[in-house]
Amino acid sequence: MTFLGLIARNIWSKKARSVGLTAAVAFAVMTVVTLAVTSRGLESSAAQIISVGKADFTVVQKGVSDTLSSTIDEQEMARIRATPGVASAVGVLVATEKINAANPVFIEIGISPSQLAAFGVTIVRGHAYAPDATNQVMLGWRAAANLGLNVGDRFKANGAVNTVTGIYSTGNPFGDAAAMFPLPAVQAYNRVPGIVTLAFVKVVPGVSPATVSSRIDHDMPELTTIRTASQFGRADRNLVYLQAAVNGSTVLAVLIGAVIVGNTMLLSLFERTREFGLLRAVGWTRRRTAGLLMGESLLLGVGGAAIGVGLSFVVTAVLERLPALRGILHAEYSANAFWRALLTALAMILIGSVYPIVRATLLSPLQALSHE
Amino acid sequence: MSDTTATDGSRARRTDSSRCGMERPPSIVLEGVTRHYPGRVTALAGIDLTVDAGSFVAITGPSGCGKSTLLHLIAGIDEPTSGTVVVGGIDLAQLHDAGSYRRDEVGLVFQLHQLLPRLSARANVELPMFGTGRSARARKVRADELLALVDLAGREERLPVQLSGGERQRVAIARALANDPGLLLADEPTGSLDSEATDNVMRLFRNVQQSGTTIVMVTHERDVAELADRVIHMRDGRVVDGPH
Ligand SMILES: Nc1ncnc2c1ncn2[C@@H]1O[C@H](COP(=O)(O)OP(=O)(O)OP(=O)(O)O)[C@@H](O)[C@H]1O
Ligand SMILES: [Mg+2]
Repeated sequence: MTFLGLIARNIWSKKARSVGLTAAVAFAVMTVVTLAVTSRGLESSAAQIISVGKADFTVVQKGVSDTLSSTIDEQEMARIRATPGVASAVGVLVATEKINAANPVFIEIGISPSQLAAFGVTIVRGHAYAPDATNQVMLGWRAAANLGLNVGDRFKANGAVNTVTGIYSTGNPFGDAAAMFPLPAVQAYNRVPGIVTLAFVKVVPGVSPATVSSRIDHDMPELTTIRTASQFGRADRNLVYLQAAVNGSTVLAVLIGAVIVGNTMLLSLFERTREFGLLRAVGWTRRRTAGLLMGESLLLGVGGAAIGVGLSFVVTAVLERLPALRGILHAEYSANAFWRALLTALAMILIGSVYPIVRATLLSPLQALSHE
Repeated sequence: MSDTTATDGSRARRTDSSRCGMERPPSIVLEGVTRHYPGRVTALAGIDLTVDAGSFVAITGPSGCGKSTLLHLIAGIDEPTSGTVVVGGIDLAQLHDAGSYRRDEVGLVFQLHQLLPRLSARANVELPMFGTGRSARARKVRADELLALVDLAGREERLPVQLSGGERQRVAIARALANDPGLLLADEPTGSLDSEATDNVMRLFRNVQQSGTTIVMVTHERDVAELADRVIHMRDGRVVDGPH
């Protein structure tokens, strides 16, 4: 019999222990992976809202608790446009409004119709609104479907009864669940004339966006530039909090899991006292005895990690379909998520097994052999 | 079981000293050994005893006189309350790792067999061979050879519950011989055996002794004890006679 065979035999014959340990690891891994992939999904959804389209980077106010409360005024827009290397800068105002009970935070985007194509908005039906219209709107396709509206219908929002002139698609769940109006109409209704939330910047061809964005970061300390989704936290503290909450929950899940692993192993150790006494009596060294136990729990841990990842696929699929989360939550699996799963499992196993293994190796062989 | 050439054939040549520097076969010297248990139980009350290297001694005495305790101290699975146990010139209290002493030098047959219930007879015999550098294949071959030696060929796959008391005892004997111990310690090895099986085991022990092993055997059967080179009588935790 090989050492691995002996490990497998023990895993098989101590079924209650094996199932308990695997379940604890699987549950913790499921929690950790689900949190990681959905928060990543949230981050990139939110980031896509402000980097809709083909801008080289986005400018927002620095340090706001929520990106949507960022404000950039006309002077700042003028300075951005005047920054060397900037080809164009387009301001967009993002507001939210309660439309009805089912849509308590409906997103309304004020953007000039001439900029739609340049920023990745495709009109799938109808046509764009007029630049200075006060009662025209375009709906994202998800919004149109949710509200049951089509081109030509009336939509009460932004302080007016608007005619739906077109249906658009951005490819981003948040953008597609929103509505777009001419910029002045949204500014007027929200009483923020001249103010925008974000500025989309394109640089002069041949100039590096990084150079231009760091110039803006330097010249206008009240603003910050975002080039990639991962930089999003620079502007939105909510995401920083989200990340902290995810990290906290991960640590908690690992600790709870480790306690369950430790407890399961201690119970099993009690049952197996005679076995360890015998192994030590026939000449197994402490190290080999520890190796047997460690091998058993590592193998179970890796199995639990695999099951946990599978469960997390199921859980995220269910969460994504919940009406309350539809369109907002979407999972983004990356290699990172799988490493996290494996690390979680290993951390739990190592933390949870240290004490039981030390106990097992310190048993006096004779006392262990006379254990009932 | 009468044919024991297989063990002799496969046995590595004995050298004068073993891996941990112990003489082979080892002598055993106990000086002033006591073993007290909590609750004023005195299992051993002061033992001075020398067992010559390569000899075969039997220990007899009434139940509870400390025979098993003595064997456990020599095997290094228990420690004396006072006194020294020196095996092959090495004081067991000085051993850095009693685990490898037990693996490399000692074959111990427990009074209660002590087989692992979920492992086959073969796997039980293989257990002491883990960590000796033998391949899985070599362990299996060796285990089957030892089981054949105690007349258990064909029962290698059986679990202990599927074996009779005498068969379990013989598995325990095979396991004790797994690593060619320099020291064989057997606690009532023939306790569950009929007279024919007892004869076979005694013949096996003689062969093992001749190939260079010191044997200490506890038994309450007078005729079995008389097969040894020397019989030691114990009473109330002391050696009562038995000249060396
Ligand atoms: N763990 C223990 N705790 C307390 N007392 C013990 C313990 N183990 C053995 N004893 C006592 O020590 C004494 C010697 O026990 P030991 O097992 O050595 O006797 P023995 O000669 O082998 O007896 P038997 O022939 O019945 O096997 C006995 O009185 C026994 O009750
Ligand atoms: Mg006894």
